[in-house]
Amino acid sequence: MARLGELERKVMDVLWAAVGTELTVRQVAEELPRHAYTTVLTVLDRLERKDMVRRTKEGRAFRYAAAASREAYTAQLMHEALGAALDRDAVLVRFAETVTGAEAQVLRRALVGMEEQPRARAKRARTVKG
Amino acid sequence: MSPDLAAVALAGVSLLFLGPLSGWLDRAAWVTRAPRSAVALWQAIGLAGGGAAVGAGLSVAVARYHSGLVGGVGDLVGSLVGGHPLEGMGLIDALGLTLAVDVGVVLLAVVAITMAGTIRARARHRRLLDLVGVGTDRVPGAVMLDDPRAAAYCLPGIRPRIVVSAGALRLLRSEELAAVVEHERGHAHERHGLVLLPLASMSGLLRRVPYAHRAPRAVAALLEMAADDHAARRHDPGALAAALVLMGTAGAVPTKGTAGAVPTKGTAGAVPTMGTAGAVPTMGTAGAVPTCAFAAASTAVPARVHRLLEPRRSSRPVAVVTFVAAMLAVAVPFVPFVAR
Repeated sequence: MARLGELERKVMDVLWAAVGTELTVRQVAEELPRHAYTTVLTVLDRLERKDMVRRTKEGRAFRYAAAASREAYTAQLMHEALGAALDRDAVLVRFAETVTGAEAQVLRRALVGMEEQPRARAKRARTVKG
Repeated sequence: MSPDLAAVALAGVSLLFLGPLSGWLDRAAWVTRAPRSAVALWQAIGLAGGGAAVGAGLSVAVARYHSGLVGGVGDLVGSLVGGHPLEGMGLIDALGLTLAVDVGVVLLAVVAITMAGTIRARARHRRLLDLVGVGTDRVPGAVMLDDPRAAAYCLPGIRPRIVVSAGALRLLRSEELAAVVEHERGHAHERHGLVLLPLASMSGLLRRVPYAHRAPRAVAALLEMAADDHAARRHDPGALAAALVLMGTAGAVPTKGTAGAVPTKGTAGAVPTMGTAGAVPTMGTAGAVPTCAFAAASTAVPARVHRLLEPRRSSRPVAVVTFVAAMLAVAVPFVPFVAR
């Protein structure tokens, strides 16, 4: 299963590298010399069923292309990752919600305070010594 | 206990738990000292409140048997198994039974459907992530998304994924990054996604029930604190707090764009240069963290920062008492069934 996932990734990489051009199974397989033609065909079929790949019929053969660019998928994931401050759907668990306005200013100032602490400590230490 | 009395008592418990009690827990400040136990208490209140509602309906339904609560439930089941359900049942009895079935079964089914949708969304996210995410030397075991905006998250599942964006890698110093990743590992390790799943699934359906819209948000904040604790045990809490501020206020803009507002990197101990952007006020006198300003916040981030910076107080007694309260709360709906 993990191997299949890895292969899906490789196949997508080949399709993404071919920006704009649709590839036949053979062309994809040629880029992946360590994998059999039939394996590549299976993976392309799987990806097509998952809507990651679209295919068009040309003569007797199918030609394959990525359904969206790598950047588009990344943007989609980031959209979910940044999401709304109020996570109602619980699809993922964010590190920090977005803080804006006055709250953000207070936090920024707190951060400056935190950054300053070592200096303040050093200053205090000097005063005590003197 | 007589069924009539039980019905009134259970209905009261249900209203109390899902209403005022959830409001009290939502406002309580002490929960931040024992976030994991407080999560258990939230869950217990929800279970008990829902269970009491089902029990109240059931009590009404069996009142006509005049054989007590437990005997009445036995009679009801007997009548169903015997093939003559609803026989001799009045309108009120039937209503009570319907209520019990509705609350118990229909709501659970609807919540289950919503949960299934969330699980599908997670699976889809994972599928895309496994195709476009890349490994990174700076964070072994995490997946990187090549995007200039700062984000870090945990995608729950059987094998959870910890994800950081290229923007976050650029924004954070290595000790901050390590703390963030450990925070996400805390989520993954303690299966927080599983805790959130049923709560978040009911919030959209039961908007009228105060518990249903308070619990998801409150529990989400508590789970963040639990994960903060997990990270703070292994890394500098100050670094985690700094990361929280940076990530929370970086927002959706590319981290390059905010570079002026972010303390300069590399020069340890140096005074951070402040940007001229309007978003950041000119720096006042360096001093204590303005903790009082964190009181009323729209997100959990300020409270979490405050919590990490404040000297740690022992919270074990709070945790134990809270957990015991949670166990007792779960038992409440069963009391009428065992009380004489």
